[in-house]
Amino acid sequence: MLKDEELATHRQELRRGTVVLACLMLLEKSNYGYALLTALDSSGFAVDANTLYPLLRRLEKQGLVHSEWNTDESRPRKFYTTSPDGRRLAATLRGDWDELAAAFTALTEEP
Amino acid sequence: MTTASTLTDRYVAEAVRSLTRGQRRDIEAELRTAIADAVEDRLGAGTDAAAAEREVLTELGPPRNLAASYSDKPTHLIGPDLFSDYVRVLAVLLSTAVPLWFVFSGVVTFVAGASALDSLWSALWGSLETAMSLAFIVTVVFAIIERTPALRSRRTAEWDPRSLPAVPDQRGYVSELVGGVLFSVVIASVVIVLQTVGAVEGPAGTPIGPLDGPLWESGVFTVALFYAAVSISFHVFAHYTGWSVANAVATIALDVLFVVPAVWIVAGDRLLNPDYFATIGWPDGVEIVGLIALAVVVLFPLLDTVDAIARTVRTRRGRPARDGS
Repeated sequence: MLKDEELATHRQELRRGTVVLACLMLLEKSNYGYALLTALDSSGFAVDANTLYPLLRRLEKQGLVHSEWNTDESRPRKFYTTSPDGRRLAATLRGDWDELAAAFTALTEEP
Repeated sequence: MTTASTLTDRYVAEAVRSLTRGQRRDIEAELRTAIADAVEDRLGAGTDAAAAEREVLTELGPPRNLAASYSDKPTHLIGPDLFSDYVRVLAVLLSTAVPLWFVFSGVVTFVAGASALDSLWSALWGSLETAMSLAFIVTVVFAIIERTPALRSRRTAEWDPRSLPAVPDQRGYVSELVGGVLFSVVIASVVIVLQTVGAVEGPAGTPIGPLDGPLWESGVFTVALFYAAVSISFHVFAHYTGWSVANAVATIALDVLFVVPAVWIVAGDRLLNPDYFATIGWPDGVEIVGLIALAVVVLFPLLDTVDAIARTVRTRRGRPARDGS
């Protein structure tokens, strides 16, 4: 039997890149940190807050998302939106994901 | 400061402390909002304020880890890209410079008039200091390279399987090593036995051995024995760290360190005691044994030097040419 810790590591490694793709897809519509966290969670992408917030900063630095402070509400919030570069990357990653899914399916179907 | 700081204040302060000034304000503002949003969400679900805050912060984890994720600075001293180079450089430097320094400082201290034991002691301390300084400097240099992207990108030369070193002939090496050790032990034992048990009564009525009395008592042979021990362990090191130009240079330096004082002693008639040979009825022996000793102290280091150069040439020839032909 695999230890819980090892199992968690394997699952984490498999999911690592998927959070980036899910963020880029969800941020087609501008959103802020905590709302994005709950949106990811309800869509079935389990991610920790302490992973997501630094990740958004990195994506911004790479020019894959843009950000803007919104001070209209009582609490100032930083809103993120996927950039054209981010959209292109998302399309590429989606293609890769579909290819992988097809490859896995082919594996299970082989006699 | 009398205002009681909340847990959130303390958490945020700790998380942004190590960040650069440019990042700090923006990240602090976003983190505060995010924590407030999460706490509000839990309050709606019926948890009390203090418990909600604690839960949210617990989920965020230790602030230092969060700070490390925000920061681009590496959280390791030397990363996996450089680690193998780091170990190799350290091994080559330690296996060459430290034994060299051991012999050099031992000989210098001894020649300067210290006793054999004091020389050995100072050589041991000196080598330890050298080893620690080397390790420190090499580590600092690699830590700087790790943090300087411009320096790291220069290491992009593609790895070529032809740069692999030849498989060392383990059996030949071991027999060579055992032979060297046995030879040293036999020579040393014969000398000691002749000088002590084999001593004869000299003209003055005192026991004398084949070796010059004052020279024997000076402890120079103790130094020579330690030299042999270092030289042998140095060859073992060089074998395992891979033969390099540094090893060859160190070997030649070690040989020179041996030859110069040895020739000075032997050729200057300072090694043997002519009274001993006269007493045992072989007056010419002092000349003949002297010549043999001279041949040995010149020939062995010479062969060692030639071997060192040959090995280096062989190793370098095994590497691919720069133009990739």
